[in-house]
Parts: sequence; structure tokens; C-alpha cells
Amino acid sequence: MKSKPEILMVDDNPADIDLTSEVLAQSKGHFHVNAVNDGIEAIAFLQHKGKYTKAPVPALIVLDLNLPRKDGCDVLSNIKADPALAKIPVVIFTTSQASSDIARSYQLGANCYLRKPGNLPEFVAVVQSMADFWLGFASLPQREKR
Amino acid sequence: MLSAEIEPCKDAFREGCDHRGNVGARLKLRAVVVEDEPADVELALQALRLADLEVDEDIAQTVEEFTELVRKNSYDVVLADYKLPGWNGMESVGILRKEGLDIPVILVSGALGEQTAVDCIKQGAADYVLKDHLARLPGSVRRAMREAKLREDHRQSQAELARSNRDLEQFAYVASHDLQEPLRMVATYTQLLAERYRGKLDSDADKYIHYAVDGALRMQKLVQDLLTFSRVGRQGLALASTDCNLALQEALKNLETAIQESGANVEQDQLPVLVADSSQLVQLFQNLIGNAIKFRGSEPPVIRVSAELSGKQCVFSVADNGIGIAAEDAESVFVVFRRLHTRAEYPGNGIGLSICKKIVEQHGGRIWVESEIGQGSIFRFALPIKTTPTREDRQKR
Repeated sequence: MKSKPEILMVDDNPADIDLTSEVLAQSKGHFHVNAVNDGIEAIAFLQHKGKYTKAPVPALIVLDLNLPRKDGCDVLSNIKADPALAKIPVVIFTTSQASSDIARSYQLGANCYLRKPGNLPEFVAVVQSMADFWLGFASLPQREKR
Repeated sequence: MLSAEIEPCKDAFREGCDHRGNVGARLKLRAVVVEDEPADVELALQALRLADLEVDEDIAQTVEEFTELVRKNSYDVVLADYKLPGWNGMESVGILRKEGLDIPVILVSGALGEQTAVDCIKQGAADYVLKDHLARLPGSVRRAMREAKLREDHRQSQAELARSNRDLEQFAYVASHDLQEPLRMVATYTQLLAERYRGKLDSDADKYIHYAVDGALRMQKLVQDLLTFSRVGRQGLALASTDCNLALQEALKNLETAIQESGANVEQDQLPVLVADSSQLVQLFQNLIGNAIKFRGSEPPVIRVSAELSGKQCVFSVADNGIGIAAEDAESVFVVFRRLHTRAEYPGNGIGLSICKKIVEQHGGRIWVESEIGQGSIFRFALPIKTTPTREDRQKR
């Protein structure tokens, strides 16, 4: 049996994590969401450091920009600079509409930039189509063996 | 002891200075006297002293002396002879202007002839007093100082107003920006409550949740509109040669759905090419035409956009066959958050026309409406015609 696709969500807003996990858990893909609340934790998770030695390698990273301790752009450039992590698609998922944030994110190698919608129907639609696209339709490179 | 007794007199004197606007009050003032004839200086000062005007004077005989004095010290008034060796007293007006100083210049001169005197006043001299009518000088000085004080007060209140407007815009921006995030939480989660628990609580609960969702979504729209409104002022103008026909086309494209649904017919004349901020012009047309569609009567909307050159400005008109506006509301429709109808009749936050007003005024123009209830409305706006962006305009960006 195929294991559930693992998603890492980096967000300091528990309400967004709950809602996203909920939407993804109920979707056809039966995705599993691992959540961390700041940039330092995100890097620890991805590098299997500290309490994350048994953490799975995520198939998709959903990253907020405005994060405590280490912000989203820093996390993004760390990921893209690490050959072991660079191939994992990173979706920026944030409230910022600033064109400078959008430009910077793509500059740093983000695979996609999505704005968190302000109401439920749109939020559900965006999260659903994000997972469907990146973990369904898109062809991704072979995962690195640990 | 003696000095202590003198002090109060000094204070009273200083008080006299502060109230220099009061006619007849004893006044001390600093003046530059532009004059090459010492006897004439003395006569003028004597005339002022006789009328309780104590003058602390500096004498300037050349352009250089005058420029140096006004740069170094502050003065209440300039008393200038007209004919001087190598220059004339009127030049002092130009020098002050160049130095950015607003000090009234009173010409104290021999007969100049009516035409020259009128020209001097036109060029900015505060007054013109004949040397053989020096009795007129004190009144003239008091009046000139009073007017200078009024101008100064006006400048200060203008600056104060501009500052407070900037603060307000900044506040609106920060408030609306930071409000969005918590609002998003309220909106999404009340919607989740509604979806998940509809029919599982009681009918009151369903109703209350519906009110909460509705309030949150409405507030979201309000906050977004407020953000748009504050952005129009904050971002300044990106001025460039703009084809108003293209701006209108883009506005119509953005309104495509509303135009189709209402069966609106939009007619347009040939519009000019102007120096303007094109994205703001699009928004301007879009808001005006959007309103014409929204506030339509029983007939499908017929909207006519036209423009007419008149002198140094171009007057645009957006005319409709809608429900119209009562004459007493013609001003207030442009006030932010002002609505003339209930939300059930016509949705909206009452911010569209205030954005229009801001856009037009930023371009140095004005906007108004001509309308009667039931007779349709004509929104007109006049934009000044500039051929190329000035340096000042570019700096605004």
C-alpha cells in the first residue's frame, strides 16, 4: 500500500494549519500534514535534527513568509541551497499581496506563490487545487533516498 | 532695584510686539530701509515713531547689502526707495521671492507716475507711499504687517492640514492592512461553523452564525476599500502621456460582467491624450461607469462618455439615465463612506466616489455632479491639460 503523501506546513498561525490540515485530510489524496511554527523548526524538520530525527521527507513544502525566529525567505533560500532539499517543491502560502514579496519569493526559487484567501470557499478551493496540482498532476523528480 | 522696576515696562513693550496686528497699538518692528539718502531714512522713521511704531532699522544701499541682510536677519517689513544708484527698490521683491521670504515691501518714493505705481503693486509690492505723504506710511506698514501675519497663519494651517491628512492616510493604511489578518480568521471560521453545524444547533444559532459571517465579510470588503482609498493618496502619481480612450476601454473590460448583466449601452466620444496617471484614470472611469450601472432605473442603462476641451482644461462627462441624485446630495456623494441608500437596495460602502474625487484632485482638477431625482446623472470632471510631466510632478512619484 502506498503511504500518504507527506506535506510540511510552516506557519505560525494555528488556525491556518488546522484549516489546511482539515481540507487536505478530507481530500481524495489523503495527504498528511506535518506542521511547524517557525523557520528554525522548519529547517530542523527538513534536516532531521533534534526531535525530528524520524521526520519524513515531505513531498511538498507549504511555507508562510512572516515567521518568528527565521522568516520564510530565509527558510526558502536555505532549502534551495541544500542539494538534498532543493528539488522539493515549495509553495509560498501567505497573506502578503506585496509585489516585492512575490518577486523575491520567485527570485529565491519558490515554485509557486499563493495568497491565503479571506473566506472559506476560496480557502478550501486554493488548498485543494494546490495539493492536487503539486502531488497529483505535476511530474516531480525522483525522491532522494535517505 | 531700578532694573526690577524697569522690567515690567519691557514686558509690556514686548507684548505690544506680539499683538502687532492691532491698529494703533504700540509696536516695535525690524525693518530694512533700502535708501541712499540718509535724510529720507530719518524722515520715514520719524513718521513711524510719531505713530507709535518703534523701528529697529538696517540700511541697505546695494543689492548685495540687501541680500546679505535678509539672509542673516528676520525682518517685519522692507521700506524701499524706487530710484537707487544702479538698481531700483522693486528688485527687492524679486530677491525676497528668490530667498523664499515673505516680507512685505513698501515703496517709499518720489512721484513715479500712476502706471509704474500700479505695475509695482502688480509685481508684489505691498504698497506705495509718496515721500511727501509720509503721514500715510504708518497705516500702510501696519496693514502690510497684518496681511503678512494672515498669510503666515494661512501657510501654517495649510501645512498643518497637509500633515494631518498624511497622518490620517498613514493610519488608514496601517489599520486596514493589519485588520485584514484577524478578520480573515473570523470570516473563515464563522463560515466553517456555518457549514459544519448548519441545522445541528437550533434555528437561532444558524441565524446568529449567519449574522457573524455576513458582518465579517462586509467588514473585509470595507477594509479592502479603505486600503484602496488610502493607497490613492499614498502612492503618488505615475504621470505619463495617457490615451483616455485606452483607459476607458480598460475600465469597460473590467466592468464586462456588469455591462452584460445589465444590458448597458456605453457610448463614447473621441477622448483626448493627457498627461495623467493611467491606472488612476482607469479606476476613475470604472467607478463612475460602475455607479451608472449600479444606480440604473427601470430601463437598461445608457451611458455616454464625452470630453470637451475648454481653455487649459479638459472637461469629461459621464452621463447616465439612472435614478439620479437630489440636488442637496450633490456634494455629499463624494464624501467617504457616505451612502444615500440602504445596503439592501444598493450594496456598497460609499467609497467609490470619494476615490474618484481623490484621483481628480490629485491631478489638480475637480469633480462634480449635475443631476435630478429620476432624471439621470451627469458626473463631470475637469483635468488640467499638461503636455509633459513637470519636474515637480516627477518628484511626486
